[in-house]
Amino acid sequence: MARQQWSRRAVLGGACACAFHARAGAADARIHPAAMTALAPVGFRPTERDERGMWQSCERLEEEIAGSNLLLPSPAFQRYAKQVVDRLVGDRAGETRVYVVHDPDFNASMFPTGMMLVNTGLLARMRDEAQFASILGHECGHYLRRHSLSRWRDTKAKTGVMAFVQAGASVGAGITAGAGGAGANWMDLANAINASLVLSILSYSREHEREADAYGVKLIEEAGYPPEAAAMVWEQLIAERKASAAGRRKKYRDRSLSALSTHPASALRLADLSVSGRELRDIVVTGRRYDAQKARWDAAVAPLRADLLAEQVRLNDPGASLYLVHAMAADGWTGLLRYNEGEVYRLRDEAGDAQRAATSYAAAIGHADAPAEAWRAHGYALLKQGRGEEGKAALGRYLAERPGANDAGMIRFSINQ
Amino acid sequence: MMGRTIALAAGAAFALAACTHTKQMADTGFVPPEGSYRLVVMRPDVAVGSITTGGGFEQREDWTNAARANLVRAIEAQQQGRGGSVRIVSTRAEAGMDPVRVAELERLHAAVGQSIALHKYAGPKLPTKKDRFDWTLGEEAIAYGQASGYDYALFVRAQDSFSSTGRVAVQAVAFLGCMVGVCMMPGGGRQEAFASLVDLKTGRVVWFNTLASGSGDIREQDGADKMVANLLGKMKPGASRPKGTIKTAAR
Repeated sequence: MARQQWSRRAVLGGACACAFHARAGAADARIHPAAMTALAPVGFRPTERDERGMWQSCERLEEEIAGSNLLLPSPAFQRYAKQVVDRLVGDRAGETRVYVVHDPDFNASMFPTGMMLVNTGLLARMRDEAQFASILGHECGHYLRRHSLSRWRDTKAKTGVMAFVQAGASVGAGITAGAGGAGANWMDLANAINASLVLSILSYSREHEREADAYGVKLIEEAGYPPEAAAMVWEQLIAERKASAAGRRKKYRDRSLSALSTHPASALRLADLSVSGRELRDIVVTGRRYDAQKARWDAAVAPLRADLLAEQVRLNDPGASLYLVHAMAADGWTGLLRYNEGEVYRLRDEAGDAQRAATSYAAAIGHADAPAEAWRAHGYALLKQGRGEEGKAALGRYLAERPGANDAGMIRFSINQ
Repeated sequence: MMGRTIALAAGAAFALAACTHTKQMADTGFVPPEGSYRLVVMRPDVAVGSITTGGGFEQREDWTNAARANLVRAIEAQQQGRGGSVRIVSTRAEAGMDPVRVAELERLHAAVGQSIALHKYAGPKLPTKKDRFDWTLGEEAIAYGQASGYDYALFVRAQDSFSSTGRVAVQAVAFLGCMVGVCMMPGGGRQEAFASLVDLKTGRVVWFNTLASGSGDIREQDGADKMVANLLGKMKPGASRPKGTIKTAAR
């Protein structure tokens, strides 16, 4: 018996959330930001049956997320993220909740109830508040256009047709086979029809992503951020993916460039967002001042930077990690950045990497902000080079800064060797 | 030949529609609680909805709320006859410990429950747990028992679904297929539930039961009573403990 049921999780993951996801297709026309208006009135509550059920399951999920230990344990940054969303949605601030969760993947997602999830992997990649706002604005676009609901209804209608096609074909196949014909042809026909319906469901999803992109640009421009910020994010992301591929000696391939993708191709999103950004800048009243709020962003992210970098380096994606470290270093090298550069080399461990790592660690401790771990790494690098006394001194500096460290015993052992 | 296929298919379809299956497992030496025990029933996790034409699950708010209330009433009524004192909590704040830690315990239980369902019921058996029921929530559950004063915690999860009109129509067409020998019967509404009893003195999952049914309706009190009776009604003791073993469940 062919069971065709979906789990509750699939419903939550599929119908509930519109993820921003950096994947994406077809050469469809750009959507004009000016065409984007909210479909849900302010203070909207669901009244229809399917939407109420969807909200109920999402609210249950939110209860879990709100108390989850995956939440970034920084009340200050959680508040900051919410303030950015509030600036974008204005009088709808009361309808949204933002949860920043530990996940090194570059993503954010929006639920029909106004719950937004933001991954820490996003924070590691944004260079100013405007860029961060462009992603949050995209997610708000999903909410304001009620995409979760229309996507669920579209999927429901199309999978309904698919079920009838499948059942009808089995009747046709049975009758044909009973008359001595080739019943399998019916199944091939059914599969062809249903495959096109699956593609149509995915194409509908990409349409939503383009709407959300357009809405996002509009929201950031209205909030006083430069509208080009959204396109910048995509430029950076494509550059990072290329660096990542090169690091693995692979050719860069856009994973979203497929009819099976839920999101439009990255290059198309970049092209559309660039045009939309320029268009908005041209039509707005002259004299409007934009501010990407870089200083505010840097101040908000500074306390998290060490954890964000560690999370990224642990992914063991040296191409992408080095790209990000070097991009951040455009604002000036710091001890933290040099230390992480060294860590990437050390973990990559190709020919010459030990020396590269040692050079990075040595540079790191030259900065006043060098983390204690940089002294430890520098110390071991020196020991390996046979510079025992200097190495032990550096390890001693680590112990002095972190007397209660988990590895304190091992470090003392190394010093006493 | 074809006639037999039809009979088999139709038989299977109806058998699935009508049967209720439960399968209990218990820790060695488990004795169903009796006397003056204190039991807490954690907030029942309930979802009720319809099966769309295409086979998706669409939750219904009103059905879910009604079913949860019915199940709570049914558990209350059923446990009253057993002599213990029972508290059914409807929010984590009522559970007798910091709600954040209650949430963590519930998530821990969900993970252990999934492992039990996977390794004892559905899929591959674990070599070390092949011939025994040996699961625990550990220190967290003991700490909860000490903080709240309960002896046992019961976790209940139930899902019920009903075929939409469109789904019934698809099944009717598919049934025609069965009549002519190509039978791919799409699934319809069904009930799935599990319950597990945790001994808060030892942290061990001492008893576990699953239920799957093609019939029944927990949106109605009568249907909820039946589910609770099938799921919790006849709690069987575990295998007796071999002589000379150390008792882990000290009671």
